[in-house]
Amino acid sequence: MKDYKDIYIPKATPHDPDSNGHFGIFGGRFVPETLMPILEQLRVDYEKVRFDREFWSEVDYYYKNFVGRPSPLYYAQNISKELNAKIYLKREDLNHTGAHKINHTVAQAILAKRLGKKRVIAETGAGQHGVATATVAALFGLECEIFMGAKDVARQELNVFRMKLLGAKVHSVESGSKTLKDAMNDAIRHWVTNARDTYYIIGTVAGPHPYPMMIRDIQSIIGWEAKSQLKSIEGVLPDKVIACIGGGSNALGIFNHFLEDDSVECIGVEAGGLGLDSKHGCSLAKGSPGILHGQLSYLLQDEDGQILEAHSISAGLDYPGIGPEHAYLKDKNIVTYDYITDEQALDAFVWLSQKEGIIPAFESSHAIAYLKKMRREDIEGKVILINLSGRGDKDMIQAKDILTDVTIKQK
Amino acid sequence: MKKLVAYITTGYPSLDFTVDMILSLKEVGVDTIELGIPFSDPVADGPIIEKANLKALQSGFKIQNLFDISKEIAPQIDTLWMGYFNPFYHIGLDKFISEAKKSKVNGFIIPDLPFEEAQPYKSIIENEGLNLIDFIAPTDSRERIKKIVSSSNKFIYLVAYAGITGAKHSEDLMPIIKSIKEFTNTPVYVGFGVNQATAKEKAKGVDGVIVGSAFIKILLDERLTNSQKIDKISSIAKEIKEKINE
Repeated sequence: MKDYKDIYIPKATPHDPDSNGHFGIFGGRFVPETLMPILEQLRVDYEKVRFDREFWSEVDYYYKNFVGRPSPLYYAQNISKELNAKIYLKREDLNHTGAHKINHTVAQAILAKRLGKKRVIAETGAGQHGVATATVAALFGLECEIFMGAKDVARQELNVFRMKLLGAKVHSVESGSKTLKDAMNDAIRHWVTNARDTYYIIGTVAGPHPYPMMIRDIQSIIGWEAKSQLKSIEGVLPDKVIACIGGGSNALGIFNHFLEDDSVECIGVEAGGLGLDSKHGCSLAKGSPGILHGQLSYLLQDEDGQILEAHSISAGLDYPGIGPEHAYLKDKNIVTYDYITDEQALDAFVWLSQKEGIIPAFESSHAIAYLKKMRREDIEGKVILINLSGRGDKDMIQAKDILTDVTIKQK
Repeated sequence: MKKLVAYITTGYPSLDFTVDMILSLKEVGVDTIELGIPFSDPVADGPIIEKANLKALQSGFKIQNLFDISKEIAPQIDTLWMGYFNPFYHIGLDKFISEAKKSKVNGFIIPDLPFEEAQPYKSIIENEGLNLIDFIAPTDSRERIKKIVSSSNKFIYLVAYAGITGAKHSEDLMPIIKSIKEFTNTPVYVGFGVNQATAKEKAKGVDGVIVGSAFIKILLDERLTNSQKIDKISSIAKEIKEKINE
């Protein structure tokens, strides 16, 4: 059994990309030439710290004392009883700032500081990554600018205020679909212009190499802890591991340490939005390979290769692409991918709140909802691990507009 | 004589306009046309060209339109297609190559396909007698410049500053230009932020300039009629061509 005094240090995996960042045909570095030397330098700098005990000790100090790691593994007793299964929730929602995003912003800020960068920028969808970035910028004395789609600024106003309170400048991005995709466009434009002194804290396992691998490495602390926690409670591996997917960082974070366990089925849940025949965020289910934001991966696009707008009730899943390693894991049939609609996610949002006293983020509600989508024989008597990637506080204003007293009772 | 490359976004305000515009640019001495392929997420571009891209798409631009109007343009003036990689990848590079050859387009400029990612495609394009233009940026080391320019052809697109198109930035490019010239005889054209005011300065030490945002700004000016736009853009092009050769 692992000792929690042990420090988490990433390990190379069979799915590591090649030196140009390719996971099979996916990944890579499709960026303007100006950024290539910057990315190559970051690759070299990250390789230096990737397995370096001293670097991860510093990260570990902040994880334990600032973030509150390890996050608990909670046996969800009431829904377990209802479903006749053992449901365990990995409580990333209890992290400082309310989601798993703080894991990679802490590690990336420490890296940025080591590289002598004075400024950090980030794109954000739901605002969780923006808040987590603004938080570490305050902690480490870095200037911080956040790019957020105007539509998300409106539906996540509490997070916008939190970022400002933490000292960050928030740019409301008015172009295109005014969501995460466009926020990332503008963050890349800002980065190209300021690459020499600015570190771009990308918020998920996407973007040009080395980001997808680096953020997967960092977030894999989630599965590393959960595996050990479950072993000490149940003495077994989970039968299934479930996580929601926008870009895919919380999912890879919890899957990574289970990918080589043949008995474990990892299931990534995409945002089904209004349904697959309507507007949604299912780049794996309905997209095709293409290039956006510096990587080759599955994308929602039209017949001309123009990027389509995604839709999800949850701003964090409202993205037409997905991290390249997920694209690779899908094509290799290593991970199962499915989807949950807005409506199903809302049901689960209320269900977990009322059954367990835990209000999940809209994003994480998709993972919870999957419990009810599974066939009975796939769930009964099984040990199921779910990444509860974030808490629902940020969604209160939006939820209040959608749910009335009557609908809450009906659900 | 230093060369002038003009970037025009295809299909805004209309496809006919794009053809008329380019034929007029040819008359005033523009040497090469960068025919821009509108894309939904043009991350290397500033707000001016981004807006033109989105407006062209909103007015219904399809890639087939590019193939069609290129037949009216490319036989008359040296033409390159400039666009982001996804449409090439999604529709198929072979389709773009065969359409380019049909319409006498001479090659591609793809700003998000850097040297390493271009490797699988560059030889395919060149074996068909077309060019894939290489980029050099001010952030490149001497070593990287050497690697990139060793296989360059037609011209090298030197990005004038770390940033996006149409910004008012400038950087001292002399050391970079010197490095490029050390390793290749391929002409060097500088692009990004070139307009009437900056053209002469930016053309120093290089073989040509690439102008985009300065034209597209006029293209987007809704107070002007289409023929006024053509006149104004052509006269700016003429002025720039004179200035870089003073």
